[in-house]
Amino acid sequence: MNAKSQILCALGGILCPLIFFGGLWPAAGFFPPPPPLEGAADIAAYYQAHTNGIRLGALLIMISAAFYIPFTAAIGAQMRRIEHPLTPVLTYTQLGAGFCSAWLFLLPGLVWTAAAFRPDRPPDITQAFNDFAWIVTVMPFMLAVTQNLALGFTIISDKQPEPIFPRWVGFFNLWVALLFLPGGLLTFFKAGPFAWNGILAFWVPACVFGPWFFVISISVMRAARRQAALGV
Amino acid sequence: MTRGRGTPANRQPRFPGHVPGEAGIWMFIFGDMMMFSLFFIVFAYYRQQEVALFEASRLHLNIVFGVINTLLMLSSSWFVASAVRMTRVGRGHTASILFGGAFMCGVCFGVVKFFEYGQKFHAGITPATNDFFMYYFIFTGIHFIHVLIGMGVLAFLSAHVRSAPLSGTRIRNIESGASFWHVVDLLWIVLFALLYVVP
Repeated sequence: MNAKSQILCALGGILCPLIFFGGLWPAAGFFPPPPPLEGAADIAAYYQAHTNGIRLGALLIMISAAFYIPFTAAIGAQMRRIEHPLTPVLTYTQLGAGFCSAWLFLLPGLVWTAAAFRPDRPPDITQAFNDFAWIVTVMPFMLAVTQNLALGFTIISDKQPEPIFPRWVGFFNLWVALLFLPGGLLTFFKAGPFAWNGILAFWVPACVFGPWFFVISISVMRAARRQAALGV
Repeated sequence: MTRGRGTPANRQPRFPGHVPGEAGIWMFIFGDMMMFSLFFIVFAYYRQQEVALFEASRLHLNIVFGVINTLLMLSSSWFVASAVRMTRVGRGHTASILFGGAFMCGVCFGVVKFFEYGQKFHAGITPATNDFFMYYFIFTGIHFIHVLIGMGVLAFLSAHVRSAPLSGTRIRNIESGASFWHVVDLLWIVLFALLYVVP
């Protein structure tokens, strides 16, 4: 029984959003996001004025990726107790989607780092990096949705008398998957609710982002503790 | 409230305080309705900024298609409600046919949407035309994703009710799926009113 290492891994799900948000907000000052319509000169001026804050924030955001990986593994370990032991396909799907998602913390961090690396270059180039980083942060809903759906359906399909996760956590995942969908529309908009700083593309996902981590982490920790108590 | 989430012994049809399905599906349903409420608030906010444009654009919508789809959604809900009633009295085969009927309403809804969108594109109207049509396409599009998911649920239920015995868990799953479909219907009715009707 390895309840301790499971709980340690699940703790990654608490630390990941805290470090991510710490990098995004107090360090880089990217909360709320700069509007997509802001001119290249203004964007470049921001990077020039906050160069080191953005560098630190980008580093923190990249570090948060490290915590997402054990968190994904801890979810997978508990999912595997629900699925068929020889063919745990949804567990694999969740693991794959989760490990790919770690890149969604790394990549914007890398691009912000590149943007803030030479802040005195022509503003257009800084703006292009800034666009790229924000698009990578907000748009790729499909990985999160895949992970949520795999986890949600597994939880709901649990037929054991004492389910591994509470059933509502399964439905919660399906709901969160739905809320992430509008992010995909940001490609068409530079203002309004579907832009990368809009209410439906950014604020709604941002509001459920933290609670999702918290709910899943706690559920995994509880499941691991119960598993230890049962000695299975 | 304590009664609703109560013990399995409470899970009898028509028991006072009986919650159809399970608590989890209702969390999902209320969550989904919260998201759509936000859509409606966003729509109302931007409508207020450009009342004349929204009103002129609204008149380009084909209300006949809207009314047909509303009737289809209402009929599908009747099919689903009847199917659940049949399930509770153990008539799985009839319930299966009724779920099939609701599924067909969903298919027809999709066909009407196909022609409705087609007519818009043919007239040169796209989501890029103006804000009204942007919201029209996105909101009805997201609703249509719900219809597709709901049709998947209905197909599952139609097969699910055939296999006896209809135990407590099965009835719970059937009620959960049926509740979701009713929400798909409800959201359409609000969308219909908001986009097609309200002057």
